[in-house]
Amino acid sequence: MKRALILLYCTASLVLASTPLLASGSIAAGKTKATTCFACHGTDGNAVDPQYPRLAGQYNEYLQQALHEYKDGRRNNPIMKGMVATLSDQDIEDLAAYFSSLPTKLDTLKGHIQGD
Amino acid sequence: MNRLHWLGLAAVSAFLIVGTAQATGNASNGRKLVYTCAGCHGIPGYTNAYPNYPVPKIAGQNEQYIINALNEYKSGDRTYPTMVAQAQSLSEQNIQDIAAYLSSLKPIK
Repeated sequence: MKRALILLYCTASLVLASTPLLASGSIAAGKTKATTCFACHGTDGNAVDPQYPRLAGQYNEYLQQALHEYKDGRRNNPIMKGMVATLSDQDIEDLAAYFSSLPTKLDTLKGHIQGD
Repeated sequence: MNRLHWLGLAAVSAFLIVGTAQATGNASNGRKLVYTCAGCHGIPGYTNAYPNYPVPKIAGQNEQYIINALNEYKSGDRTYPTMVAQAQSLSEQNIQDIAAYLSSLKPIK
């Protein structure tokens, strides 16, 4: 019985941990929710101050993941912790949809490494 | 000495102070170091398993943010195991070199 319960908990936590992030947010709703972000991350999502990341054109699901991590403490950053505290899952999806839709200055490393 | 001189002196010393705080990465060494990173960050749309999400685009990212991120993996403020292991193998100079190179990149059209 005990073993079965442990197995159940393990399965449940695996399922929870792997809940897929879906790119189903609203870009328009994200735009109105993003005004707070602009001060540091730039009105175009390309932060000018080099200590803050560029968000424009970053992967949608990566941005969602980052916001969830700030919220649940897997990422420990005092500024972002305060920012995400009031965000719902829907807010996170919308913000990620908005920033990932903007013209980007980012790229993968494809073509940027020695030997390429 | 008139007020203008003092103003100039203040400006120059402010510039010097800011200058010393800036990152001193060597981008060409960074280019060699990021070879390892390309295994995941060099594949467009490459996705982690558990948790399942795409690894971020890091070429063209801001310099100090990259330095902070790698140091946060090192210190445990960020927890993704693969990146914690990678960051622990890097010296402070390695981190600055990587950040100098990555932040110098522009997207390939």
